[in-house]
This record gives sequence, structure tokens and C-alpha cells, in this order.
Amino acid sequence: MLWLCIVSPVQEKKHALKALASWAGQFSSCVCLDAERSLLWLEIGSSLRYFGGLDRLLEKVTAGLNALALAATTGVAPTAEAAALLARQPQALPVVQLEHLQPAIAALPLNTLALLPAAIAGLQASGIASVGALLALPRDALARRWGLHMTGYLQRLLGERADPRKPYRAPQTYHRRFDFAEPVQTVEGLLFPLRRILYELQGYLRGRDTALQMLNVAFRHRGHADTALTLRTTEPQRDALRLFALLREKLERTQLPGAVTRIRLNVEQFVALRDTQLHLWDESERHDASWSDLLDKLRARLGDQAVRRLGLRDDHRPEKAWCVESAAVAADLPPAFPDRPLWLLPPRPIERLPKLLGRPERIEAGWWSGEDSSRDYYIAQTAEGSRWWLYREAATARWFLQGIWA
Amino acid sequence: MSSPSLISRLRPLPPVLPEIPGVWRAHELAPVKARSTGHGALDALLPGGGWPIGALTELVPLIEGIGEVALLQMALKRLCDEKRHIVFVHPPYIPYAPALLSAGLPLPRVLWIDAAHDEDAHWAAEQTLREGAAGAVLLWSRAVADRPLRRLQLAAEAGESLAFIYRPAVTLDRPSPAALRIVLRPATAALDVEVLKARGGRGGAVSLPVHAHV
Repeated sequence: MLWLCIVSPVQEKKHALKALASWAGQFSSCVCLDAERSLLWLEIGSSLRYFGGLDRLLEKVTAGLNALALAATTGVAPTAEAAALLARQPQALPVVQLEHLQPAIAALPLNTLALLPAAIAGLQASGIASVGALLALPRDALARRWGLHMTGYLQRLLGERADPRKPYRAPQTYHRRFDFAEPVQTVEGLLFPLRRILYELQGYLRGRDTALQMLNVAFRHRGHADTALTLRTTEPQRDALRLFALLREKLERTQLPGAVTRIRLNVEQFVALRDTQLHLWDESERHDASWSDLLDKLRARLGDQAVRRLGLRDDHRPEKAWCVESAAVAADLPPAFPDRPLWLLPPRPIERLPKLLGRPERIEAGWWSGEDSSRDYYIAQTAEGSRWWLYREAATARWFLQGIWA
Repeated sequence: MSSPSLISRLRPLPPVLPEIPGVWRAHELAPVKARSTGHGALDALLPGGGWPIGALTELVPLIEGIGEVALLQMALKRLCDEKRHIVFVHPPYIPYAPALLSAGLPLPRVLWIDAAHDEDAHWAAEQTLREGAAGAVLLWSRAVADRPLRRLQLAAEAGESLAFIYRPAVTLDRPSPAALRIVLRPATAALDVEVLKARGGRGGAVSLPVHAHV
């Protein structure tokens, strides 16, 4: 076993430490936490090969912590308590072998150990100043004087005794809240914590090897209803910066009713990441990937309803033979479908009839739904040279413009 | 629409000109990347032999409903055949699905972006061009100023799409930053296409049998 310990800044709340534990799931399948001591442990012995060695793994963890902008320190040792000890020593090197552990910690001052302050003071009073000096004392004498608590701790520290810990289980749905000490007035002030919680989410998604297509963010205000934003992506997504860019675009176009006291982020549903992301794309796939990025960007600024795909509907009435599709559907026209103009207009009555070309096309439909319509459609040419699509309503003999051949 | 500088362009170049960065002489013109319009007579007028790739093409129909989009149909269909997307930004009316299908543009390949105003429309076109993911972008612009066009021209250069902007006829008396500028006039059973400006080409006019479809 090899443990990596992360010391989280003390002001972090318990739910923030849990979010950090969820984030850490990307590096280890066994993450343990101690909220009272603001400590997080990752068993990394079984992840080393996957990450390409200890140095590479540590680089990744450090880069990840930097992205969270968290002033956390780390330590690596074969036992969890030794890792915690080293994590509080800024200059300490990782210890991988158990036999190197004792020499590595011998020179540390006594007060670095996780012992009760009274015990440390008592030991110091009897002239014991370093970890090495304490470890040199006979254990049974220590147990008699300071209790089994102390010797138990030392045994776990040195790996002489098993140290079972309950692994942290990341939740099945993701909820994160971030409270501000002072209400935040500006969008810029929201972006910094938003980026952090999206990086945490990215770690969680990586740890579970999954992705999302929808996430909800709510901003709490004093005296106003929450501002809720929903982000949907075209393809399964887990990249923090990409999600951040999309949310930022949305946020900058949202009118907040007042200062923000809390951010809540929820993800209820997860989808598998497309395996195209793992392979080198061929040209057409590359276009598809940047295509879905583009759709997300357009939707984030213009709104979901402004970015449309078209579909067909089985209706003879021209104005009902099309629809807006939210998802792409393949559709085909019936064979020998007559020509139709590119632009469809809401029927508009016309006064002066332009020159009609060719024979009319009779379209009858809708009688079953009470919207009886019998129309004769013509192609027409205006004096200016435009081609129009007109119809004459049989019931009223009135003329309408419904299309333009562009 | 004749260019007053035509005469001065024919004078011999002063010797300093080749040393000024960004000045190209006719014989050193870089080959223009282009896709065939599907109309041989029009291809012959255009530098590179078709619609330029990575450059803005400005289309100015004198009125609507004369085949101003049908002119692009063959190039758009070929892009769809290559599994590229066609993006309609801010069209004046509803792009009618049956017409798109008869023109050989499968509906899942077509995206319709309906912006609330011209500024959003230009932004959407710019993003789409920059991303280079679409085969072609068609923007209907109400803007008279040429500043947004400059941005679009730069965005087009960044991507590899065909970039078309439809502009109202009132913009014709202003200079345009577009690489290719074409005015479209109705004719009997045809569409008159006049190339006002073609970066790296000569310009000219041609009458094409474009009508009815699309």
C-alpha cells in the first residue's frame, strides 16, 4: 500500500472536503477522509502503473490542486499516518519503501505527530524532542505511561499494525454547494468559485468514468427567488473548462436580481463519454466533435430555441408539412413530390395578382380536423422578376402569398 | 459599378512596391482555394474556379425571390454529400424543409439559427466560421456598415468553410471588405450574376439558368 495524503486548508467546510474526496476519485479507487483533521487519503499503490509512475501521478495531483486554486499540501508514505505526517512538512520527499520510513521521519520535531498536546508537552518535558527519540523508547513503557492510544498510533504510523479505514463512497448524483462569506455582487466574483466546482465535478466524472449532458446551477439571493441556469450539451461532456466557458456565456447574459450568497450545482443524470474522445479522429469525426462544441456555444448565448433543426410532418397543408426538430431525424419526401419554394411565409393576402405560370396544384387537407382547406397553388412571377408561391382559397376565392423561390 | 481605379492599376509598378509587405503582384498571386459552383460559366469568372474557401463571398440580390439561394444549390449539395453541415443564419423567412430535401440537402445536415437581432446573427456566423465545422455558412445581414463584414472576413479566413453573406441592395454604393462581391439581378428564366470584385480575379458577368428549384 502507498498512501497520498492531502491536507486541505482548515477553513474548508466538511462538504467542501467531501467534494475534494469526490474529485480525488479520479486518481484512486480508495479515498478516505478525516473531516476533523481536514485530511484526505488516496491509496495510490494500485494506481501507479495506470498513471505511469509516482512522479507522473504526483504531477497530475499537484496540477489538479492548482486548478482548484486550493492551498493544499501533499505527502506520500507507505502508511496513512506517515503520509499525513509528511504532508505537513513542506520539504518532505515521498517515501515509498517501509524500511525508508523511520529514517525519513526521525529528525522531525515531536509536535508534528498526531498526539494529544498534553502528551507532547509531557514527552518534551522529559527531554524527548524528536520523533526518532520517541521511537527509540520501549513501547511497553510508553503504553504504561501514556496509554495504548499512543502506542497504537505509533504502530499504525510505522506500519506495524493494520490501519483499516472506511473508504469514501462518492454519491450517485452530484450536488455541490458553495457558500460565500460575503454576498457577491458581480459576475466576476462568481466565476472563480464556479470554475473550482466545475473542476471538482470533472474529477468526479473522471473517477466514475462518466460524463453529463445536463447540469443545473442555482444562485441564491437574499430576498429574491433563486436564479436557476440549466446547461445542456450536444455531446456527453466532462471537460471543466468547456463547461465553464458555456456557463459563463449563459451567466453573462443573465440578469441577477441581487447579490449571490450561495451557488448550488446539481447533476442528476450521467451518460457514457463517447469513445471517440479516446481515439484519434479522422477528418469527418473531427468535424463532428467541433460541430457539437459549436452547437453548445451557440445555444449558450442564443438560447436552445434559436438553434434549430428542421423536420418533415406528414400533412398535405404546406404550413404543417414541416417542423422544428430538437434532435436530428432522417426524413424523406414521397417520390415525385412537387417543387416547393425555399422560403415559407405565413399566408399573406395579396391585392394585385402577378402573372401566373403553369397549371395549378390542388391541395386539399385538414377537413377531418375542422380546418377545411381546399387551395389551388400557383407559381407566379412578379413584374420585378421575383417568383412567388400563391394559392387561391376555393371557399372564398381570395389569393394568398405563401412562399418565395429564393 | 465600374471601378475608378482601373486605369491606375494598369500603370507599371513603382520599384518600391514589391518591398511593401502584404502587396502581391498579379503573377505571384497565391492560388485561391475554391469549390466549384456547379456552373461552368461562373467558375470561369472566379479566381480558383469556384466559391472561395476561407474567404467571404458577398451576394447582393436586387430583390428577393430570383434564385439567390438556388445559385448555391449545387455547391451546398456536394458539401452535404461529403457529410458537412450547412448553416442558415438569420434567414428572412422559414427555410422550408420539403424544398431543402428536394434540393438534395438532408435535413439533419441543415442548421437554422434564428438570432434575435443582427448583432447576434453576425456573432453566430462568426463563431461558426471560426470553428470551421460547417461546410457552408449563409448569413442574411441587415447591417449596412462594413465593420461587421471585416470581422466575418477574418473569421472566414480562420476556418475552411464557404462563407456567404446576403446583403441589401442599399449597401452596393459602399466599399466592401469581402473577397468576392456579386450582384444578382432577375432575368427571363435566368439569373444574371455580375462579379463586382474578386480578389485575385478579373470579374465579369454571366447569365445562369437558375430558377424555380430551391
